[in-house]
Amino acid sequence: MQIDNFPQLASVAQIEQGFESFGYICSTKIATAVFLACQLRKPILVEGPPGVGKTELAKTTAQLLDLPLIRLQCYEGLDEAKALYEWKYGKQLLYTQVLKEKLGDLLKGAKGLAESVERLHQFGDIFYSEDFLEPRPLLKAMQQERGAILLIDEIDKSDYEFESLLLEILSDYQISIPEIGTIKARTSPMVFLTSNNTRDISDALKRRCLHLYIPFPSVELEERIVRSRVPDVDAQLRHQLVEFVHSLRQLDLKKSPAISETIDWARSLLLLHAGQLDEEMVRSTLNVLLKFEDDIEAADAELRALLQGGRPG
Amino acid sequence: MQSKLVSFIQVLRSHDVRVSPAETLDAMAVATTLGYANRDLLRDGLAMTLAKTPAEEAVFLTCFDRYFYQRLSDFSRAQELADDSSRPETGETGNEPGEGAAAAGDAAPLAAAAAADADIAALLASPLMQSLVDNDRNELTVAIGRAAEQVGLRQIQLFTQKGQFTRRILDAMGEEQLRSAVIELERQESPALAELQRYRDILREEVRNYVEREYLLHAEGRTRQFMDEVLSKTRLNNIEHMYLHKVHELVRKMARKLASRYSRKRRQVKRGQLNMAKTIRRGIANDGVMFNTYWRQVRKEKPQILAVCDVSGSVAAYAKFLLLFLYSLQDVLPKVRSFAFSSHLGEVSSYFDDYPVEKAIELVNWKYGGATDYGSSLQDFARLALDDINSNTTVIILGDARNNNGDPRLDLMQNIYQRSRQVIWLNPESRRVWGSGDSEMLRYQSACHFSAECNNLKQLERIVEQLLKSTH
Repeated sequence: MQIDNFPQLASVAQIEQGFESFGYICSTKIATAVFLACQLRKPILVEGPPGVGKTELAKTTAQLLDLPLIRLQCYEGLDEAKALYEWKYGKQLLYTQVLKEKLGDLLKGAKGLAESVERLHQFGDIFYSEDFLEPRPLLKAMQQERGAILLIDEIDKSDYEFESLLLEILSDYQISIPEIGTIKARTSPMVFLTSNNTRDISDALKRRCLHLYIPFPSVELEERIVRSRVPDVDAQLRHQLVEFVHSLRQLDLKKSPAISETIDWARSLLLLHAGQLDEEMVRSTLNVLLKFEDDIEAADAELRALLQGGRPG
Repeated sequence: MQSKLVSFIQVLRSHDVRVSPAETLDAMAVATTLGYANRDLLRDGLAMTLAKTPAEEAVFLTCFDRYFYQRLSDFSRAQELADDSSRPETGETGNEPGEGAAAAGDAAPLAAAAAADADIAALLASPLMQSLVDNDRNELTVAIGRAAEQVGLRQIQLFTQKGQFTRRILDAMGEEQLRSAVIELERQESPALAELQRYRDILREEVRNYVEREYLLHAEGRTRQFMDEVLSKTRLNNIEHMYLHKVHELVRKMARKLASRYSRKRRQVKRGQLNMAKTIRRGIANDGVMFNTYWRQVRKEKPQILAVCDVSGSVAAYAKFLLLFLYSLQDVLPKVRSFAFSSHLGEVSSYFDDYPVEKAIELVNWKYGGATDYGSSLQDFARLALDDINSNTTVIILGDARNNNGDPRLDLMQNIYQRSRQVIWLNPESRRVWGSGDSEMLRYQSACHFSAECNNLKQLERIVEQLLKSTH
């Protein structure tokens, strides 16, 4: 079975609409990527600054297709025991205990050591079998009957060697377990990898993926996003606040405000019953947008110019 | 269309976008899935499979526009060609009187000249001239394309070859005839001269444009490869500042190679699984009850590199590149501490972490540049880092060992040598002059595990390889 026979993903325009119905406003490029990923059965590597909706894209796709979302958060030191599978050691140990007790019965009547060993070989070897396998996210995604959305989040945080571990899964949707053999996916999952670009991803991994770069959105797009997420903000304020955030992004900041921060800010302004942006209001809520003291100071100095819509000189 | 896609990918490759055969297949699948109707959709889709970084995407977009702009006119042409093939019998013979009538007004002087001279008449009848007279750009483009194929324009490599190829294409198209006709008319002072000259100029202009476009598509990339080749063999102090950026990329590539080898080695000792054999063996003491579990050791060996770089006047030309190497190293390896010195020494890791490469190098030069004093610099180094040096540490020293006849403090060097896993000294001077004048290299060499001459990127690369082989 393949995941590409979903009517929701039949065309680029349909995907765009589908996403919008779940409150995820996206550019045509993003929809194209999802469309291609589904048609060609390839993973998508999503790159872009933090907070532009990389993770959200996977979540929304899962909602749209009504499939389980399986998420693997990467970090330094993540290895196959935590990502792929683990043996149920406790049960394995118990099994050897049981085996020992039964051993007498089984070997009863055997003459000599050679025959005993012969008999021992006749038992099924279940010590290393799927019964004792503890699936971790990647294996779990392979085992889903209807397919799944697999989100491998912040792949750039993992070690280089973890990347090569992913190669087999990403190109063939299968996992090789030395003791058992190869486990193929029942239904190939749709895979999203996200990266914040803190380091380069290896070429081998990139080659297997569609490469999607999500930049900060344009003013129009961001306004649409705010409208869908915070519908109660009136049009004029919405326009003002999005413009302001865009001019903030022109400054040299440690961390530019992302879409999620724009949405948070819109919500806060709504709570404070702000009719329009004034200097005092912005100054007191700046900490919603900017997360570093240095950034807040830098923006504070330019505040008046920014509010008048001019770019800081 | 598939072959066009393939040749487009060739173009991308020559512009340093790496496209593997597998990606070519992907691109074809994308093109089939999306269709050729919507140009933007196709562009976005292809970009996703062919370009893997934002930088590559920018290159991709430029190439896409350049390439498919040109192909578009070609495309409409292809249909006409199909029409043409059914037309020639009627066209060749039937057209002539009609064309004569239509162009009678414009080409009157030419027609008169043709009537007077058999050569010119023959020229006018040639397909080249006809397409010029009819202002049939498509026909002309196809003819130019054919001629370009003949003379092998795709082989163009350097911009200096542009003129040569233009001439060859013109020759292949039979421009000679046109030229001699112009000379002939000039001699006769015929009224048709201006007309014919105009056609000649149009033709030349078209060919020149065509060559220019092809050059941009095919040769730019190759010139760049050629440059890379040359750059990696040039002595570092001879490379112009403007190429610093390019060298950075090369060095980075090298440092990446280094880093990936490092991590591969580390993985072998890093597995966290049950050690079944040991668990059973130890269980024997408890009558076979496996009371305690034993795990394969997760031994994550973190190699540490301390890099020390001389930035004094005597190595000023090299320092930039040594620092560049340092910068790249710190960029890709997890645990690198960098130091710079001339008369005194200080840690510069934070500069490299915080600033882009040019800025960082400038800052380091400004802060630590001056006259060399290896003795006191080593003292500073010992004070700052000696405690951190252990059997896991590799110390790399980049410098010429010219100490202005000061105290070399070999004792400190030996101390470092004994504590560390490896001390590597890279000297930009040629091995022959080591020890001459105020160079203390021969003495310092005794306290190094490995010392080498290093003044171009190829050497640096070789040393890095050796280093990796010997450290692990």
